[in-house]
Amino acid sequence: MAHASGVGARVRRKEDERLLRGRGRFVGDIALPGMKELAFVRSPVAHARIRGVDIPEEHRAAVFIWADLAMDGVKPIRAVSGLPGFKASEQPALADGKVRFVGEPVAVCIAATRAEAEDIAAQVFVDVEELPVNADMLEAVKPGAPRVHEHWSDNVFLETNVGGAIAEIAATAPVKVTRTIRTARQCMVPLEGKGVVAHWDRHVEQLVLTTATQMPHIVRAGLSECLGLDQGLIRVVAPDVGGGFGWKGLLQPEEVVAGWLARHLDHPVRWTEDRREHLVAAANCREHHYEITAYADERGRLLGLEADAWVDAGAYSVYPFSACLEAAQVGSILPGPYDFRHYRCRTFSVCTNKPPIVPYRGVARTGVCFAMEQMIDAVAEAVGREPWEVRLENLVPPDKMPFDNVTKKHFDSGDYPESVRRAVAAIELDGWRARQTRGEPDGRLIGVGVATYCEQSAHGTAVYYGWGIPMVPGHEQAQARITPDGGLELRVGVQSHGQSMETTFAQVAHEVLGIELARIKLVHGDTALTPYSTGTWGSRSMVMAGGAVATACRTLAERVLRIGAHLLQGRPEDARLVDGCVRVGQASIPIRDIAHTWYRAPQLLPPDVDRGGLETTCGYKPKSDHGTFSYATHAVAVAVDPELGSVEILDYVVVEDAGTMVNPMVVDGQIYGGVAQGIGTALYERMPYDDEGQPLASTFMDYLIPGFTEVPHVRILHMMTPSPYTEFGVKGIGEGGAIAPPAALCNAINDALRPLGARVTDSPMTPERIIAAIHDASTSAAASTAEATR
Amino acid sequence: MTHSKTITLTVNGKAVTAAVEPRTHLADFLRERQLLTGTHLGCEHGVCGACTILIDGEPARSCITLAVACDGHAVTTVEGLDGDPVAADLREAFSTEHGLQCGFCTPGMLVSARDVVLRRPTADDNQIRVEMSGNLCRCTGYVGIVNAIRRVLDARKTAAE
Repeated sequence: MAHASGVGARVRRKEDERLLRGRGRFVGDIALPGMKELAFVRSPVAHARIRGVDIPEEHRAAVFIWADLAMDGVKPIRAVSGLPGFKASEQPALADGKVRFVGEPVAVCIAATRAEAEDIAAQVFVDVEELPVNADMLEAVKPGAPRVHEHWSDNVFLETNVGGAIAEIAATAPVKVTRTIRTARQCMVPLEGKGVVAHWDRHVEQLVLTTATQMPHIVRAGLSECLGLDQGLIRVVAPDVGGGFGWKGLLQPEEVVAGWLARHLDHPVRWTEDRREHLVAAANCREHHYEITAYADERGRLLGLEADAWVDAGAYSVYPFSACLEAAQVGSILPGPYDFRHYRCRTFSVCTNKPPIVPYRGVARTGVCFAMEQMIDAVAEAVGREPWEVRLENLVPPDKMPFDNVTKKHFDSGDYPESVRRAVAAIELDGWRARQTRGEPDGRLIGVGVATYCEQSAHGTAVYYGWGIPMVPGHEQAQARITPDGGLELRVGVQSHGQSMETTFAQVAHEVLGIELARIKLVHGDTALTPYSTGTWGSRSMVMAGGAVATACRTLAERVLRIGAHLLQGRPEDARLVDGCVRVGQASIPIRDIAHTWYRAPQLLPPDVDRGGLETTCGYKPKSDHGTFSYATHAVAVAVDPELGSVEILDYVVVEDAGTMVNPMVVDGQIYGGVAQGIGTALYERMPYDDEGQPLASTFMDYLIPGFTEVPHVRILHMMTPSPYTEFGVKGIGEGGAIAPPAALCNAINDALRPLGARVTDSPMTPERIIAAIHDASTSAAASTAEATR
Repeated sequence: MTHSKTITLTVNGKAVTAAVEPRTHLADFLRERQLLTGTHLGCEHGVCGACTILIDGEPARSCITLAVACDGHAVTTVEGLDGDPVAADLREAFSTEHGLQCGFCTPGMLVSARDVVLRRPTADDNQIRVEMSGNLCRCTGYVGIVNAIRRVLDARKTAAE
């Protein structure tokens, strides 16, 4: 049943009209009668004991601190992992006695306007006794390092050990390469910051919290735990949300504070995160450090991999993902898309005086891919082969699919080697190699880099149960309701903030029921109106909620067919749905008339009609609980200026497999956007900290995100291997684009620098770092020449 | 509100008189006082371009323009471009080319893109990128936006021939 605007159609988005006219409704656009604005007093230091908070007497009624909340029974945010050895942190929504990172909220100020609230905040003095700071995770794990949480035995949230014996391989492998690799701490930078409007609905007797979130139901659960309110007394609404990328996938201290204030004051309150707050208090992702060794044979066939990995998890464990998800994921996915048998990985989630880590688009995969793909290139260099050939040597071949890898990840389908072959062909590697040999007239160095990954998406129950964090996804639910006039309402608990679900879920429903797209309305992002969901994260929404929408629509289709057959005086088994009509033989009746019958002419219904009517809520899980595995190979050609250290991207190709694409335009959009963020990670984005834990970038002038002239016109080639486990064969694709660019660009830059004997291993690969690498290489070359002539 | 100053300006074709504090920037004035929330604030540092509006027909950053400085001037926001033919073409093209995802940067993008279409009718893709480089988008990777502007420029070229 292929519909012109169903699954697979490149249709324009239903979301566009309001957004293109500036008529969206974001949190900052909402003004309620009597609403007041909030400004937070934030910690100016990374680690200190609070001796007192001095509030000017005239503002005493407009300023609140933790003691005010605690007196009312508000509890700190706790996100505990069930993994053995996990150390729990307690994060009070406003600092309680201590501050543990710069930007941590200490007090909240209320006034008629934000400017006036900031005026008050400027007069609140936080008296602190500074403590020694853990600004670097490798220092923080040393014995004697100051403790972020005094009662802990060290600064490690969790240590994990994956894999086992590798000593024999280590002793006998013909090829052994070792690298130290590091990724920088970043900010996610959705263009819209966080924001929340909260009020107490006196009629429904509910706290209504409208917030820029990816997971309204999880925020409700977290608020309930902190505020001590039944979940029935809380409604969380996500309006239009201006990008998330993970930053809006957590319970925020500011949400707890706003919720408490709305409960206790006689007026609504609003907080909108400004850019400086985001950059200072929310530099919260990506910071990994690897000591990694690969073992291989003479052809570059991997024999084993061994790694220690540290993740800077910041000061607290965030709700719901916890402080350990990122590092634990490193341990489980470091082997990448490759087939080898011997593996050992030790990971540390390190507690430091920085903002708490939150999973950013790709989560640990971007760092893991950066590390693993550097190792593949290192092995290739050691055995004297093209890196892409070494990838082919090691990738799981299609005839082994589905495949369980060394960490028991269940790769569902696809042809990983073919993605490499197509990427190498599309980038026209031979042409670049010839150009490298000729040399550039302007003295720049050409390099080509390749990176391959596979990405577990739409995680099932087992993985999250295994992590033991506050949130475990089960059956995803969707509600479908045919309206009395024959339209369709869909209600889902996931939340769309750029992913185009208002369009793509309508396409799924259209595919099943044939109701035209214009008459399908998606309701999402509201706990009062939608079924429970863990929300939008982990590239899961199309697989999980899309699958639930299809399931619910199929259930309605059966009921529609039965009623339609009765009205047409035919047998249900002879009835079928065609273009939104029930047909029996030549007779036909539109769903609109069937809806009319159910709602407004029930006397005509068959006596045994399904009492559920034209409305249903259905749950869905894929056939496999292991999630889907999308994959891609990225290939990039660069020119590196050895004098300036600058990198120009000359061509960028993505060959990816998202299985069946519901809307290819939307899939491409996700990839383009992901690659742009990946380029930011690779070349520009870093939140530097000084030794005192002070963030050194606080505007877009010093925290650089890629713009029009930094991002190339990426070329995308699709492979389409349907997942055997999901509705329509879809796979999660939302994060993928952001995973491989740092790895592909690093390999390309190092390919360019190879004649100079220089190499970069850390992201971002800034001009300073490239120049330093070239300088180090020439210094050590000069030193060894001097040594030889002595 | 102390030391407020009364200003008179034109907002989307209508005369507006209001008392504003000297420190209030134009974007806050438009959003909070005129309820024109299509103008978005992405950084308030004058970098991201989400708040781009027209002052006397020229693109400007409303986050680093003080409202009092607009006394006697004409301000046009994205809401004021509803009937503008170039903006209409751009809206159509942005939708066709998937030039927006979350839609937060979009009002500023449209204002800047309209300026590029009118001022640089022969721009190639590279020039479009340079001209648009004052606007940041975190969702689209810019490809759809460049394609949308390209589409409008091409259509206008064809129409002129």
